[in-house]
Order: sequence, then C-alpha cells, then structure tokens
Amino acid sequence: MKGTILVVDDSAMMRKIVLRTLKMAEIEFEEVLEAGDGAEALTELRTHNVALIMCDINMPNMTGLELLLKIKEEGLAPGVPIVMVTTEGSESLVRQAILAGAKGYIRKPFTLDHIKNNVKPLLAA
Amino acid sequence: MSDTVLAAKPFLVEEFLSSENISLADETVFEIFASMLSIDISITPPPVPEIGVGDERTAIVGYSGAMRGCCEVQMDEKAASVVASAMLGGGPVTDADSLDDAVGEISNMIAGGWKDRVPSLSEHCALSPPTVITGRAYKVHMSRPSVKLMRCYTFQGQYLFLTLRREDVPVA
Repeated sequence: MKGTILVVDDSAMMRKIVLRTLKMAEIEFEEVLEAGDGAEALTELRTHNVALIMCDINMPNMTGLELLLKIKEEGLAPGVPIVMVTTEGSESLVRQAILAGAKGYIRKPFTLDHIKNNVKPLLAA
Repeated sequence: MSDTVLAAKPFLVEEFLSSENISLADETVFEIFASMLSIDISITPPPVPEIGVGDERTAIVGYSGAMRGCCEVQMDEKAASVVASAMLGGGPVTDADSLDDAVGEISNMIAGGWKDRVPSLSEHCALSPPTVITGRAYKVHMSRPSVKLMRCYTFQGQYLFLTLRREDVPVA
C-alpha cells in the first residue's frame, strides 16, 4: 500500500504488535513512523503526510484524545483515518474519540479479524 | 433535559471480593492470553517457593474515579520472555526493555479488561499508564485501608500472579 502509517503507543512492544497484525491483515505501507505519545505524534504529523494513524489513548505527556483534538485544531492529516487502539473500552470514551475525529476503535486485546474488520474498510473508502 | 452525568453505582467491597468478580478477573486473563498470545493459561495454586528471587517484574496500573486501587501483574524473567516472544510472533526476546514493556502491556490489558467487565466501573474509572518494577523488595502503599484479590495462573510451565487492590472506602 502506498504512503506512510503512523503508530502511536507508549509501548514499543504494542507498536510492533499493531504493525505485525496489520501485515498479517495484508495492510502494509511503504513507510512506518512510530511515536511514543501524542506529543511525538504531533511532531511527526507536522513534518510528514500519512495515510493511516493507529493510536493508543492512555499515554503519558499527551493522551490519544488530546492528540485527536490537537490534530483537529491544527488542521493536520485532513481526511486521514485515525483508529484508536486501546484497553479503554468504555462507551463514553469511544464516543469522545469519535466526536474528536477518530474513524475506528479497536479494544486491546485484539485479533487479526478485529484489525481486518475495522481498518480495511477505512482504507477502501 | 439536562446533561447531568449519572453518578456511578457504588462497587461495594463485597462485590469486589465476590466469586463473580474473581471470575471476571479470570475471564480477562484467559481472553488476553488466547487472543493476543495464543497461549493456554489456567488457574493454579501459588507454587512454593513462589518464584525465583531477584528476577521478578511487577507491572502496576492505577485506578482512579469510582474505585481507587491498582492492578499488579507479577512474573519472573522467564515468564516475561515467554510472553514477550508470543506477543512478537515467536522469536526469542530477552532484552530488559522488551520484557518490561511486555509485562506492562499485559498488566494494562488486564487492568482495562477487568474494569470494563464491571458495569459500575466501566464508565467511571480511569487507568494510569503502567509502571514496571524489577525485584521483589517493594511494598504497595495505599492511602487508605484496602482489600485485595490474589490469583495465580500457569502457562507453559511459568507463573503469573495477579493482585487487584481497592481502597476500602465506606459508602457515603
């Protein structure tokens, strides 16, 4: 797949798992960017165009929800699907994330099917 | 009609210590090991002696909001290596950062998965990012008297210890 993916999670292990699962789902990108929190992700987004953002919520420095608001505020990554990947599965958080601009929501632990069903349709759109 | 947020139904200490809640914790652990690691895990009595001295990792995730407390996941280095290898798809993992990270993520998923299974906590309780401690000479200090649940699980000849703590706050 053309373009760049940005994976945002404070766990390097989880970033690798997300990338491996995307690969297993046959969703691969030319370039991979990784960020350990929302602030690092913002820096990447100010200097790179990306085609997909996979983002944790519960992170130090800047949470995933704060990142979504910043992306909106600064007009970064217009039209780019953002999928939240998180242990937080409460309805109110899902609602907040969608309202703030997320297009998908995957709860950890996730399976290959979760990734296929929630990410592939966004890229086809 | 106002947008008033309904107060959380209290999660009583009796409920926290109930067999139903213990089942929710077990269910959470089983789901994570099956879906993220493809590893069978089962409940076991704690071994004696518990685990090797000095090579344990404990990941702690804090709860705040409707329940103040924490989720602790403890395992030794070999167990952490099995978990980390499974997370990454099979190859051996031995570096300390990856092992810390793996135990932290397991703790994070257990903490969040259990919380989401408890209706009165799901919408009213927040998680902290995990903190990983190496070694066994530590003590968790709660600001108020607390109660705890302890469970031991075994997988591939390794052990995982789960402790859920909550402050014993009287209902107002």
